[in-house]
Amino acid sequence: MKSRPISVLGIIAVQLIVVATLAASYARMDTDGSIKLRQTVTGTTTYPTVKIEREKPLWIAPLYDDPEVVSDAELAAVLKKIRPNFDPSKMKPNHIEHALRTWRADATFQDPSVMSGAKMVEFLTDHGKYLASWGQDVEPLLLEQEEGVAIRWGRETGASVHHDHWLACLTEAGVPLNERLFTPSQRDMTMNDAVQEALRDQRLDERETEWSALAFGLWLPPTKTWKSTDGRRMSFDMLARRLMRGHKRFGVCSGTHRVYSLMSLIRLDDEFDILSDAVHDDVYAYLESVRDLISVAQFEDGRWPPNWSEGADAIKNPLNDPIHRTVISTGHHLEWLAIAPKDLHPPHEMIKLAADWIIADITSQSDEVIKARFTFYSHVGNALALWRSTRPPDFWRKWQEEHPFVPAEEKETPNPNEQPAADKAPIQEPATGH
Amino acid sequence: MATTLSEPEAEANQAEQSQLPDASVLEEKVPDCLKLSAKTTICVAFVGLVFMFLSFRPVWHTDVWGHLAYGELVWESGKLPKTEPLMPLSAGVSFVDSAWLTQIIGYTAFEAVGVSSLSFLYAATITACVILLLWRFQTRTKNVLFSIVGVLVFMLIDWMQLEIVRPQLAGFLCFVSLFTLLTAKQWRRWFWFAVPALFALWANLHGSFPVGLAMLAAFAVGRVIDVLRRARSFRVSFSDQRFWRYFLLTELAAVAVLLNPYGLRLYAEVLTIASSPNLASIVEWHPLEIRMFQGKVAAIVVLALMFVYRMTPRRVSFVEIFLLVGFGAAAMWTSRMILWWAPIATYYLVVHLSAVLPRRKSADGEIEPAARSSRWSLVAVMVAWICFGFTPIAGKLLHGRERDLNTATSNYTPVAAVEFLNEHPPQGQLFNTYEWGDYLLWNGPKDVQIFVASHAHLIPREVWSDYMRVIGNSGGGQAILDRYGVNTVLIDYRYRRGLIQSMKRSDNWRLAFDDNDRAVVFVRRKPIL
Repeated sequence: MKSRPISVLGIIAVQLIVVATLAASYARMDTDGSIKLRQTVTGTTTYPTVKIEREKPLWIAPLYDDPEVVSDAELAAVLKKIRPNFDPSKMKPNHIEHALRTWRADATFQDPSVMSGAKMVEFLTDHGKYLASWGQDVEPLLLEQEEGVAIRWGRETGASVHHDHWLACLTEAGVPLNERLFTPSQRDMTMNDAVQEALRDQRLDERETEWSALAFGLWLPPTKTWKSTDGRRMSFDMLARRLMRGHKRFGVCSGTHRVYSLMSLIRLDDEFDILSDAVHDDVYAYLESVRDLISVAQFEDGRWPPNWSEGADAIKNPLNDPIHRTVISTGHHLEWLAIAPKDLHPPHEMIKLAADWIIADITSQSDEVIKARFTFYSHVGNALALWRSTRPPDFWRKWQEEHPFVPAEEKETPNPNEQPAADKAPIQEPATGH
Repeated sequence: MATTLSEPEAEANQAEQSQLPDASVLEEKVPDCLKLSAKTTICVAFVGLVFMFLSFRPVWHTDVWGHLAYGELVWESGKLPKTEPLMPLSAGVSFVDSAWLTQIIGYTAFEAVGVSSLSFLYAATITACVILLLWRFQTRTKNVLFSIVGVLVFMLIDWMQLEIVRPQLAGFLCFVSLFTLLTAKQWRRWFWFAVPALFALWANLHGSFPVGLAMLAAFAVGRVIDVLRRARSFRVSFSDQRFWRYFLLTELAAVAVLLNPYGLRLYAEVLTIASSPNLASIVEWHPLEIRMFQGKVAAIVVLALMFVYRMTPRRVSFVEIFLLVGFGAAAMWTSRMILWWAPIATYYLVVHLSAVLPRRKSADGEIEPAARSSRWSLVAVMVAWICFGFTPIAGKLLHGRERDLNTATSNYTPVAAVEFLNEHPPQGQLFNTYEWGDYLLWNGPKDVQIFVASHAHLIPREVWSDYMRVIGNSGGGQAILDRYGVNTVLIDYRYRRGLIQSMKRSDNWRLAFDDNDRAVVFVRRKPIL
């Protein structure tokens, strides 16, 4: 059979078929397909944006006002110890972040040497303020990305220590979505750009996801799913499963931040239904297992050891860890328990004992020790305030009204209950960790 | 008294006998179209032996098992998953199942016939490629020996690729079919429908259809340059009928590809798979190297090609230059692309070699056509039947005999270890050798949480990095296993002896299964719950 010559009409007909088919195929493509195709054709990255329905982040209200756990005077003594009184030169973002999440953005102090919440927010969100503290020798804290703002984090000098810790702390501090971020080139950026960037660059299996989970939980509900830049569909279910995965000893601060983030997700789920029922049940069971472990892992004096995840074995085989590691685990457990329902609590006596131990410890420490271990002790202040159903700035404001600032009284007096020197020296900020 | 036949009777008998056929000569009643020549019968025997050989090849330990699992999922759910459904650590990762049709064919065949169906599909697919190439070589060279040698050379170059049972073989059959059509001596009108239909099918069988489009484009561009070189006129070259034929076919094929469940998106997906950084760790995605077996064979073929191109009296077209250099360069970039280069290279090698070497011709200068006979047809049918009758699929269909999984699969398949895991299902996350993820998906415990499988491009970068650190035994592996909550580890002896030794020394792990030469299973002494 001999082929006939191709006519112009035939060529035109094929072109029409091609155009019509391509148009029809493009028209019936879903959003994901369009994005993928655009990325492939143009070689560019498409940055998904998640709509956030609130101007201010959620706050997980504490459930108890229990003066048996901590009295007003004890809380005041603890909070006084952890006021953000930092040397303005080379202020560590990690310290400011911790101070801010404890004291919140609206904190004010009568003592002029103490940083207000607004000043702390400024330091973390304004490159100019950061520059004033650190000079030109370090990289900026705020890193401008193509479509958002990332935060320099890791072990480098002047960096935030954990991924998304900056975001979680500003979020817990109540910084609004439209808060301006003054980046090195003064681009018009807000907190929203930082949240969107965090949503895009979060990797589910990176080493630490505690902070991302917490920050997303406080911003996104009722949104349950979103997409990262590589097109992966993320959800609170996936974050929760990731947080539960692996040995309980893993994670920041002896694994306690995982517990805090999971507890926060459960509370948020109660209100916004962000978890599937199956994952909710799994998380709850996980928290019950934590409860069971710490119920048998408390020393007689009330402290929870860093190896709490070993349960009763932690008491049988105590670690010879520095005391601050015990402060971390005890303080952090008190923190998540303050927002946990009662059936996730160990016996109430244990909570009281733990609070007593940690109050005694923190009030016995010198200012020098507190400053060096500020990050750990700040959690104690927050935890104890939560146990009184309050926020540190609210409590402190009232306390200051009744106990006005007197400069002469601020001088530190030696404490007879000071810890043995072995526990205190050398005083150094750990290279990693909290 | 003697009696004699009367004369009229004798005449009548003689007339009757003359009407009967001569008993010493059988009359040929087989239609001409069914008669075969001795050469064709040799080809049939060769093809039959190839089929039989391939049928007894063990089913490869990677890929195919995972595809069966995907096939089962698609078949039973009646829809294509939007995100990766079988690897828990890849949850949420966007998934375009470009091989869905092959997976369903494989799954339904396996369900109907068992493991023999895999051997059959594998052998049948490659044999079909062999038939097409043999036919094309034969029609171009008229030389059975050249044709068979050409096919053997092709199989030698591609052996490393052809060993693996996977949907890519279906794509390869489409590729060879297209090449056979495009190198036909005479253009047929039905090609206008066959080529787009082939691409529509190809796009649903495997995501390798862009190589077919590239080949069509090479024919179009090569043709226009060939004409331009001869006519020195753009007008002439762009009004060339063959150029338009290839050009329009390329367009129609590109449009036919859209007849798939993902439409245009399929293009975006298949064109970006190679950009996954995970693939850099997989040998078949490495550049072709001379130390590889396929690299050595390819190098010899390249030298042979250089020789025949130097000697050939045939005109060398730009089409073949584009195809050989284009696909050759692709193979240099990533060795798995050699699959597509091999049939092209052997085709041009055979064609030019046959032109170089002297051949037997008739007095009028034509190559003598081979004599055809029904006897050869009979021999060919018998040979084909024998070659089929001894294969596992025939054993299953004719005698109900199914092959044991141990003999049906490659000796690197963790059959016994996975049986052990079925008897002792792992708690929580499992860590497994990459090559065995697919087999675990298909034959492993229900809902087994594998770590990785052969869909490496779907594995999140950080998971893949962690996998490489553990499997490489390069330190920090134990902490990674702890962090992922891995309670069971399934690894192989062939490549991971160092890791096995490390784990044997660890107090955290108990050796639960060890077949001493293939696989070990470690179980965590204190499971992470």
